[in-house]
Amino acid sequence: MKKITVNFTLNGDAVEVSCEPDKMLVDVLRENLFLTGTKIGCREGECGACTVIINGDAVNSCLIPAAKVMGKEIQTIEGVADKGKLHPIQAAFIEKGAVQCGFCAPGIIMSAKALLDKNRTPDRGEIREAIAGNICRCTGYVKIEDAIRHAVRVLNEKSARGGEK
Amino acid sequence: MMKFIGKNMDRLDGVDKVTGAGTFATDITAPGMLYGKILRSPHPHARIVKIDTSEAEKLPGVKAVIHHGNVPNNPFNTAAPMYTTVPYLKPVLDQLIFCEKARYVGDEVAAVAATSEKIAEAACKLIKVEYEVLPAVLGIEEAMAADAPDIHPPEITPEGKNIVAEIIRIPPGPPSDALQKGFDEADVIIEEEFRTNVQKQCQMENMAALAIVKPDGSITVHCTTQTPHPTKAILAKAFGVPASKIRVTNPPYVGGGFGSRIGLSGKSEVVAVALSMATKKPVKVVYTRKEDFTATDTRHASIVNVKLGAKKDGTFVALDLKGYTNTGAYCTFGAELPGVLGAMTLAIYNIPAIRYYGHSVYTNRTPAGAMRGFGNPQGNFALERVVDMMAEKLGMDAKELREKNIAKAGDPWFLPYPCSSSELAECIRKCAKSIGWERRGNLNKDSSHIKRGLGMAVGTHVSNAWPFCVDYDNAYVAIQSDGSVNLSVGCCDMGTGISTSLPQVCAEALGVKWEDLTITFADTASTPFTIGNHASRGAYAQGTAVKAAAEDAKQQVLDYAARLFKVSPEALTIEDSIIKPVEAKDKGVTVVDPTTLPGAIEEAAAAPVPPPRDHKIVKPVNTQGPQKGISLEGLAYYAHIRNKQFIGVGRTIPPNAPPWHCVAAEVEVDTKLGTVEVIKMAAAHDVGTAINPKIVEGQIEGGVVQGIGYALSEEILYDSKGRQAHTSFSAYMVPTAEDVPEIDTFIVEGSDQSGPYGAKGAGECGLVCPASAIANAVANALDVKVNELPMTAERVYELINNH
Repeated sequence: MKKITVNFTLNGDAVEVSCEPDKMLVDVLRENLFLTGTKIGCREGECGACTVIINGDAVNSCLIPAAKVMGKEIQTIEGVADKGKLHPIQAAFIEKGAVQCGFCAPGIIMSAKALLDKNRTPDRGEIREAIAGNICRCTGYVKIEDAIRHAVRVLNEKSARGGEK
Repeated sequence: MMKFIGKNMDRLDGVDKVTGAGTFATDITAPGMLYGKILRSPHPHARIVKIDTSEAEKLPGVKAVIHHGNVPNNPFNTAAPMYTTVPYLKPVLDQLIFCEKARYVGDEVAAVAATSEKIAEAACKLIKVEYEVLPAVLGIEEAMAADAPDIHPPEITPEGKNIVAEIIRIPPGPPSDALQKGFDEADVIIEEEFRTNVQKQCQMENMAALAIVKPDGSITVHCTTQTPHPTKAILAKAFGVPASKIRVTNPPYVGGGFGSRIGLSGKSEVVAVALSMATKKPVKVVYTRKEDFTATDTRHASIVNVKLGAKKDGTFVALDLKGYTNTGAYCTFGAELPGVLGAMTLAIYNIPAIRYYGHSVYTNRTPAGAMRGFGNPQGNFALERVVDMMAEKLGMDAKELREKNIAKAGDPWFLPYPCSSSELAECIRKCAKSIGWERRGNLNKDSSHIKRGLGMAVGTHVSNAWPFCVDYDNAYVAIQSDGSVNLSVGCCDMGTGISTSLPQVCAEALGVKWEDLTITFADTASTPFTIGNHASRGAYAQGTAVKAAAEDAKQQVLDYAARLFKVSPEALTIEDSIIKPVEAKDKGVTVVDPTTLPGAIEEAAAAPVPPPRDHKIVKPVNTQGPQKGISLEGLAYYAHIRNKQFIGVGRTIPPNAPPWHCVAAEVEVDTKLGTVEVIKMAAAHDVGTAINPKIVEGQIEGGVVQGIGYALSEEILYDSKGRQAHTSFSAYMVPTAEDVPEIDTFIVEGSDQSGPYGAKGAGECGLVCPASAIANAVANALDVKVNELPMTAERVYELINNH
């Protein structure tokens, strides 16, 4: 198949990739751009391990052909920490013990971030809904939910102090 | 006061994992790498008459096509028992890299290496295989029938038609009349049959192996195994190459396991190595999720018969248990698992007359092997259901009946290690309180179609694999010349946190600062022999070896430092990486250069050329106190320039110890639909000392939720053609965040003398009792017999309407 050139913004930087138009975004990220933080658990959009944020929405990157991301703004797990400083969601995942094998963690953190970027006061149902498409087989989700709630508190305290938005 | 044991240390792999920087086998690549794909049998039982690979080989990009005709055919076993089977049992060697006769839908027939996965996949479709289809059997009874086809040659099944390995009898030997005498004393006898279906581990990372066979014959395999060292031994035998040529490593993380890769990760390692040998290039094989569902070990489906006898006052007098487990096409853990089913089920209660008879059966299903709990959940469900039925028949409270009969610490029992500790009674109390047990029986109004129920189950498990499998570990603790400490142990961290818990044990035993410690793990090239991670053994068995290694290193340090302090080694201790007199413990010390200590001054005075008094290399430690201490860094350097090293070796083997657990459940059943909703779960676990309580809680919670899946929604069924009917996450229902009820988790610390700082096993325990407790709750809600798992809406609807 003839390759196409795809331009998009990745974690704040403009990137250009040459690939087959039907190559899935997850493979573009992992194979063309060497960003292996985005994981593959099923390739069928059923496990959420490959979740990235495209234009503010959490999506399964295994279902998105490269041709579809032209001009989009994409964020992956590698772009979540700010100059080496963990995002409050990442810090909360460690502090609350929400990481076990860690294979689902990047995807779940992206789902949680997409939620908290839009909604700083999510209730339990909204948090659960946001990560319902991410399977975690290790934790039973208890500490993940706990970590996301903790991150909400931290983010809101920071906002109240006039810090990060 | 302990500094690290019992502390919620943040996981050492946390930052790596939340930033996406951590690597897994599926992330690893190598220069010049090719991709491997496997062609699998579409038939459950078929002889391969002919394989024609010519069309596949012609496809551009294809570098090798392999099948049973052009690879080594040394019989092996994909699972660790190939290398860990104990005397006088024989390892079952019933597999080859590729089958000559397909024994299940998904059996490996051929494989292709190509420049891309797509090309490899396309080439697989071009391989022409001529099959002679044979009659297939899927069920346990069917496979044991006299007219059933032999799935393996009779020499593999000496005990009878399709019976796997040895029949397990507890107590060993022919039946005695003690059991019948026990039942003769019983006022009430209950006899029931239970069935469980196939659960899948569903670890998030699929099976993966990158094999690099180099021109010098060395073989490196980056893979998802839970047991790097035994896997190395299996590969050496399967390929007939010296083990010294093979390195097996996790890279370093493994995306879950739950028993699915104790030994090889499916056949990904052998296929990748065979393809790499054929192409002389690195080859990576990553299974798809469908391959994971159809062609990697599952939990065993089972039939369990329970006959329990009790006196009027509730005292259990006799238990006769039979367990039959469906091991599928090949025996991975099929020989050992029925033993654990029987032993763990018999061990819960102190019953004078007991008997167990059990074995696995070959069928034409996907091989069943180890899954978290390892036969225990199947037996636990059966017995704990019968205990509830017994309580009802005796007119007793089910909790009180359990409390009356549970085994207690020090009780004599049939296992070859002591019942050394138990806080089960406290676990029961905690769960009963949390779930509101006193409400049981008063939850429902007759008019409502929604029925509530409460249920409870109790159980035990193991802290390592002895006596079912070989079980020992080695560990090294090296005090480096710069004062840093390297712990080397061949464990695998598949998510259980063992690469954090073992450093906690090491830091505690040695007395060093957390930041002074590093761990090398999961690599056969840089760690001493370690069985690996299964059987809830990491914290207990590996922890014992690590503690011994740290103590050995500490003793060497103290012996050496004592000469400098001019005191006996017993007069010194190490705290926060400072070596100091014991009486200065918990008090400040002034850290000095070791050369200023009296023993060092004497040594220097006697030397022909006096050494410099201050090396200025060791960084000063700003502490103050009346007594002198020296930093570990200072001593290590002092020793280093005098050719002295400190390396501790750990090879202590703990005997095994019983963890205990109670789970209580509250459920709501919609009698019009048959659906079951879990309202709340309480889980109380005696895991001995929790080395890292946050990690232990995570193990319990994760186990409980897997148990909810096992109870209600997870199963792989087969269609009439012998094909798996549940092969994706949209068909096989694992719990999501929205399915999780309130979970109350309790760690009840019943310290056990045999484990490191009193620790016992924890990993599998969370998944032993939840389904049993939920089944008892459903039975309580509906007043029906629940004799099969999972309790899908269809089955519950049937129970309600055929009642």
